[in-house]
Amino acid sequence: MNLLQFLSGRLAKGVLTLLAIAVLNFFLIRAAPGDPAQVLAGEAGAADAVLLEQLRERFGLNEPLLTQLWIYLKGYMTLDLGFSYRQQQPVLALVLDRLPATLLLTGAAFLISLVLGTAMGALAARRAGKWSDSLITALALIFYATPLFWVALMSQIVFALKLGIVPNVGYETIGANYTGLARALDIGRHLVLPALTLGLFFTALYARMMRASMLEVAGADFVKTARAKGVSPPRVWRRHVARNAILPVVTLAGLQAGQLVGGAVLTETVFAWPGIGRLMFDALVQRDYSVLLGVFFVSSAMVVGFNILTDLIYRIADPRIEAGA
Amino acid sequence: MTSTIRRRLARTTAICALGLAALGFAPLSVSAQAPKTGGTVHVVVQPEPPMLMQGLNQNGPTNMVAGNIYESLLRYDEKLQPQPSLAKSWEISPDAKVYTFKLQEGVKWHDGKPFTADDVVFSLDKFHREVHPRWRPVVSAQVEKIEKVDDLTVRITLKQPFGPMITTQEVASAPMIPKHIYDGTDYRANPANNTPIGTGPFKLKEWKKGAYIHLVKNEDYWAKGKPALDEIYWQIIPDAAARAVAYETGKVDVLTGGSVDVYDVQRLAKLPNSCMTTKGWEMFAPHAWLTVNIAKGGPLANKQFRQGLMYAIDREFGKDVVWDGLGKLPTGPISSKTKFYSADVPKYTYDVAKAKELIKASGYKGEPLKILALPYGEVWSRWAESIKQNFADAGVNVSIETTDVPGWTQKASNGDFDLTFNFLYQLGDPAIGVARNYISTNIVKGNPFGNQGAYVNPEVDKLFADAAVAPNDAARQELYTKVQQVLAEDLPVLWLLEMEFPTIYRCNIKNLVTTAIGVNDGFRDATKD
Amino acid sequence: MNFLKRFCRNRGAVLGLVILLAVVVFALLAPTLFPQSPWRPVGRPFLAPFTIERFPLGTDTLGRNLAAGLVHGARVSLMIGVVSTLVALLIGVPLGAIAGYAGGFVDDALMRFTEFFQTIPSFALAIVLVAILQPQLGSIVLAIGVVSWPPIARLVRGEVLSLRTREYVQAAVTIGQSTPRIIFSQVLPNTIAPIIVMGSLMIGSAILLESSLSFLGLGDPNLMSWGYMVGAGRTRLLDAWWISFFPGLAIFLTVLALNLAGEGLNDALNPRLARGRE
Repeated sequence: MNLLQFLSGRLAKGVLTLLAIAVLNFFLIRAAPGDPAQVLAGEAGAADAVLLEQLRERFGLNEPLLTQLWIYLKGYMTLDLGFSYRQQQPVLALVLDRLPATLLLTGAAFLISLVLGTAMGALAARRAGKWSDSLITALALIFYATPLFWVALMSQIVFALKLGIVPNVGYETIGANYTGLARALDIGRHLVLPALTLGLFFTALYARMMRASMLEVAGADFVKTARAKGVSPPRVWRRHVARNAILPVVTLAGLQAGQLVGGAVLTETVFAWPGIGRLMFDALVQRDYSVLLGVFFVSSAMVVGFNILTDLIYRIADPRIEAGA
Repeated sequence: MTSTIRRRLARTTAICALGLAALGFAPLSVSAQAPKTGGTVHVVVQPEPPMLMQGLNQNGPTNMVAGNIYESLLRYDEKLQPQPSLAKSWEISPDAKVYTFKLQEGVKWHDGKPFTADDVVFSLDKFHREVHPRWRPVVSAQVEKIEKVDDLTVRITLKQPFGPMITTQEVASAPMIPKHIYDGTDYRANPANNTPIGTGPFKLKEWKKGAYIHLVKNEDYWAKGKPALDEIYWQIIPDAAARAVAYETGKVDVLTGGSVDVYDVQRLAKLPNSCMTTKGWEMFAPHAWLTVNIAKGGPLANKQFRQGLMYAIDREFGKDVVWDGLGKLPTGPISSKTKFYSADVPKYTYDVAKAKELIKASGYKGEPLKILALPYGEVWSRWAESIKQNFADAGVNVSIETTDVPGWTQKASNGDFDLTFNFLYQLGDPAIGVARNYISTNIVKGNPFGNQGAYVNPEVDKLFADAAVAPNDAARQELYTKVQQVLAEDLPVLWLLEMEFPTIYRCNIKNLVTTAIGVNDGFRDATKD
Repeated sequence: MNFLKRFCRNRGAVLGLVILLAVVVFALLAPTLFPQSPWRPVGRPFLAPFTIERFPLGTDTLGRNLAAGLVHGARVSLMIGVVSTLVALLIGVPLGAIAGYAGGFVDDALMRFTEFFQTIPSFALAIVLVAILQPQLGSIVLAIGVVSWPPIARLVRGEVLSLRTREYVQAAVTIGQSTPRIIFSQVLPNTIAPIIVMGSLMIGSAILLESSLSFLGLGDPNLMSWGYMVGAGRTRLLDAWWISFFPGLAIFLTVLALNLAGEGLNDALNPRLARGRE
């Protein structure tokens, strides 16, 4: 099977998965109590039947459910994610407006955790049983076992309030109107706390995964063979163990890359980060159906995309896969 | 206060306003020193408003921001007395049926078009009659006609005298909408909804969703020398603890009412250069209570049982501990900040023994009851928990039910609850903000702010109906006192607290809260040293 | 070397087990230690810890005894962790076993189904599920279970795939045992070890997930869980750190203990891997 066939096959499967998710989400969210018209009218502190009717008509909620589903799916076929009447904007515009912030945050967290995590894991595996192994393992466990929002709040108090080194919330200094490098630096300063907070948890996962995987590979026959052949120990670790141990980590990375979007809900809330995790949560508590479905769609599409990417990397990193696929 | 004095006072205010306006002063901003100009202020707004077109949306956050973009005919001082805004002066006919408003001269919309009587007639007679849930009932039940007399004069003729009329022109209740943009269009689909055009002191520059709303000074504002500030940034910070830290680290300058945890209020107010006020909420006078679903029958329909519940609640604890001392215990349906309040009603103090006695006498046999909590954050959760404990102590089998905002709205709207927390604005006059919760004609599904417990009492219906159209304030006071007495005896809802939402701000920001709606229209007069 | 010896050789695992036992003992003794409801205000609000004997860990914003909350919370949090893990196992184990044993089309379909659930952001899905079903014990446990089963299904499938070709399974097929019987009597018992290990880790993540849901206001309002306590005290970190610190510490220690014990179990049950430690 060549690469093109493989890709088109995976893409077709991905599209089907996304379609199924879209339908499931559509019914899921309709099962929740309340509707967007009620929420909007309720928040105004003065709802009456006329207003509710006006809003429902406007939101298209008076159509039969299946008609609504059809309209929604038809739109998705042409990448039209619908319109948010609550916010008076197309969903795609809302999502695209917020996506860069999320990608920046999760991307940074992803890099931090991947680099730090695999390095820690590899180090621990090489020193298995020594005190540095215990230290790293303990550190990873601490990262893993502390509730994320707690870390988020504590870091704000310590680093923003007490030490005053970095800002506590937001994406950039509002009203400063920085441009160019100054703006990039400003955003960078704002990025530090949320990215570290979000990254810590995944660092722990990668560290543990890498350590376990390396120890497993270290016991494998081909490594023993390499050792027996007299390959120098550092070379064994680098060329044989680390290279093969990275595969499960790649899988995890593929999975996590997608999950980072969903996992950013808490981080984005606590740090007032204007990304799509918060957009999703707000849309949920406002029953802004079209926005909620749009965010779910985009983040699911990202997971699918990353999965395909992972498979590709797998094929490239490990030629053995091809025979089995 | 007798009716004549009140009437005379209203007249005096009107004339007085005319005089001051002619001199180019607005009476609300009496400042000894020369006003400073310029400056940027960062304010917290929470949650993010859905839109800023105030005619189509009256969310709390929408009003906070948009009240500085749009304007209405009148503003109100903290005693709820009308003050000139877009109306320079006004005249009420002796039979109290004709209101004539004279408009300010030289007022322009943000797009440069002139503001005239046509816009007023369009807003009140057409736009709001169609879409505004607060104005619609007033205009359809009370107003005979709204007409343009000349370009700067509008006359509203009532079907009968309607005392609350003068209190209906607050900016969120009746903002002026530009006719040239909206007339003949589908209002809710008008693309201009994203670029609000008002007459107010500030204009929308940019709205970065999820981050901030940027307002800039309206250079062509009709009141000379105003506004003093150049820019306002409304920052959106979803977490309450993070908002407090943002104020402490200097990221924001104003914490609007209710935007931080109650226990943070005193601490933040004590910071250097930090001031706090509980004013600016007189128009709203938020009143919190537990609605009892009488329609469910059983113990809830029993007056004795409800009285027992009222004795069981440690309301002092709610105020002092849960709300950290903010607010005041209410005596009945009308807030002490609203017109026609009377303290001459049956009172309830925390008394577990009496509560047990009444609950037992009511024939309660341990039927399980649920309290539906309001999903408005930690303090509301604590309140529900403490009242649940109070009820349990009095022998009531009770649990808490939580949901999110849409879930609450749905349940409260459809009577799907035993007891639910609720808090409502009184909007200056009992005919507008109080009667709605107790009259039997307002037992409707789909509205969480009506008579959701389905309380029916013909006497109360009649008292409220008569009081709204009574010829003078004395007559109204008499009727409202009576209705407060009846309701305090019947307890269709259990009143918990006259709430206070303090505004915390840097002390060098002056004249921020000068009206009955506080920051909602406060930036017109605010200055920053 | 027997299992117990191997387990005890791992000092971390023993420590984890000890902490875990302590938590369980506290949870069991809660009604005896603190017979009063942990919801009842019993003292002045905001009393600092270690100052008054009656309230060793201080009081919270309403004057409720934090120590009582912590001990009663142990029951709730452990229960949520265990029950939602059971829910996940209940979904994941049969699915994984069937997929692995049947292979072919069934395997393909079931794995696509699993993948489908892994594609939806899991925390977001949990939030939506709790919002739909309303925050209460049942819905929280269900939501956590529903988002946590896919890794179990994959694990079990993998194990079953490799077990299917073993001689003793083949033998059972040859002598004509029914498929369900083979799965339950021959295959699944041999996958128990990795499932237990994964389950112990999942209890920890379920407790963490519940605390995150609580933070967003999606906890059961009638159950005092640790997650609830951390969430309720979080706005007071500055002036009353103890309100959210102690329950946070409890979550941390429990999750840590579960992980240590889980890893110890893994090493003990899987001697081949443990050898890598040398």
